[in-house]
Amino acid sequence: MTKNETLKSWIEQYSESLLKRAVYVLSDRIEAEDIVQEVFIAAFSSYDSFEGKSKPLTWLNTILNNKVADFYRKKYKSEPEIRLDHFFDETGSWKNNDVLNDWDASNKESELLDNDDFNKTLEDCLEDLPSRWKIPMKMYYLQEKKAPEVSQELNISTTNLWKILQRSRMQLRECLDFNWFAKS
Amino acid sequence: MLKKIIHILFLPCSEATLLMEKRNANSISPKDDWKLSMHLKICKWCRAYKEKLEILDDILKRKLSREEKVEINDSEIQSFKDKMVKNLDI
Repeated sequence: MTKNETLKSWIEQYSESLLKRAVYVLSDRIEAEDIVQEVFIAAFSSYDSFEGKSKPLTWLNTILNNKVADFYRKKYKSEPEIRLDHFFDETGSWKNNDVLNDWDASNKESELLDNDDFNKTLEDCLEDLPSRWKIPMKMYYLQEKKAPEVSQELNISTTNLWKILQRSRMQLRECLDFNWFAKS
Repeated sequence: MLKKIIHILFLPCSEATLLMEKRNANSISPKDDWKLSMHLKICKWCRAYKEKLEILDDILKRKLSREEKVEINDSEIQSFKDKMVKNLDI
């Protein structure tokens, strides 16, 4: 196959997967389409460096990660400031007792995710996170929790990545507690 | 009261919860790991939070590796593919 034919077949085969991943990470359809187009353009111009050692989709996903990282770095130039005063008092102790609420342990996590209502609640809670935190958190999980790589790509310090994860998870915990576990 | 003093002097909950993230990613130093274990022994709030952190971690691992759940219909995908071929001029 010529280079053009190969690329056409990649567009045909992998557009859907790349687009879904991009929409998922960026929570924005327009941005996602732009970024996937950039991925194909980059793949086209650096086609010669693709030696077929990995699968095409793996290579394209790597380019996508880099493009998401570029997007994030351009958008958020300074290190984030993360405050925890919603959760802790000035001595660093918990402000509220709702962290003690019982989450019904009989609800197995895998079963929870099969529940459409729970999924909806979780998605809403995730979408409520500012994208400045959400993107690193999604990248962290998509890249199997490799913190040094993610923080390097996004150009934030590892310390700040931990803080972003801590802050995001606290908010998710509170949101799910309020909107799901306390109700069910 | 004594517990509260120990918390503040030793390791406040605001920092213990940060160390939990590091431990969760296997990136915690032995010293911090020990401090966190001591803290968890005396702090029921952080113990309760840790349980939830583990549930959330598991949910997020499953959830975020299911990005294919994003819904885009076939005709939208097709028009995107057509646009790519056209824009890249191939």
